[in-house]
Amino acid sequence: MHYVKWTFRMLLVTFVFSIFHYTLVQHDIVRVTNTEVRRIDFGQNSIFWASADTGSDGTTANRDVRFIEAFYYTGKPMVYRNEDTGFGWPPYFKLDSSNLQAEARDLVSSKDAPGWVSISHYGWRNEFLSIYPNAVGIKAVSGPDVRIIPWVNIVILLTLTILILMFRRMWLQFRERSIDPVLEDVGEASDVARSHATGLWGRVTGWLGTWRSKP
Amino acid sequence: MGIIRLGVFGFLALAVIFVLVSIYSRSVQREKLEDVWDEEVKTGDRDAYIEDGLRDYEGSLRKKLIWLVFVIPTVVVAGLVYVTNFW
Repeated sequence: MHYVKWTFRMLLVTFVFSIFHYTLVQHDIVRVTNTEVRRIDFGQNSIFWASADTGSDGTTANRDVRFIEAFYYTGKPMVYRNEDTGFGWPPYFKLDSSNLQAEARDLVSSKDAPGWVSISHYGWRNEFLSIYPNAVGIKAVSGPDVRIIPWVNIVILLTLTILILMFRRMWLQFRERSIDPVLEDVGEASDVARSHATGLWGRVTGWLGTWRSKP
Repeated sequence: MGIIRLGVFGFLALAVIFVLVSIYSRSVQREKLEDVWDEEVKTGDRDAYIEDGLRDYEGSLRKKLIWLVFVIPTVVVAGLVYVTNFW
């Protein structure tokens, strides 16, 4: 039972972490080498693509996607897609893919005379699924070792923490004022019930316990 | 049509949050009034004192500030659209 509980918790934590890791903005310092447009037929990886340009027909089975090709300081390649997110998920409200493509094209540099840029993006590059991070912004930086403080992520995570604490307080207030008095009226029956089933997890373990062989 | 969908579902979500925060704020106010009566006032009608206090709360600034639940996300979205695309 101990292991089931911890496996479940680990899965939940991993899942939440993955969502944040995918969605929150990250910055890469790279050298842009090329920009291009490819037609993409969305398949099993369709969840990892954003939406068609805002205002255009988003119901077609395939469409052209803009790409930005780049290299890290280490010489490793990275390819970004450049898609509108529009007013959907994730909430970047990015509508200017064409402009971004023009900026990226303008910042192309050669190996011999590298011009370093910071590409802010969300998402993952995965070769097995052919998925690419979505570039959100691009700006020239002085060199490959500039330090970028992720203010946006700090603000978002702080705000989320405050909201979660706020909702926890609201729930505790509701329980104290509206649920507990009712339970106290019910009397001893509730004490018995609550000692056995504390919350949803208690009920799940209680149910699983009924399957255990009696010693 | 994404902007309309965001507007409709966003409004519904914020309306739910608005109601929940309103209930919470009123509940906190009532609890505070109960505590004040129990510890300081102790004379007169307890229910009347609480009802009176809640009537004051209905017109208070704190109750009006709950409307920020609608205002802040709208401003944030408008700001994000500007910063992401035109800044």
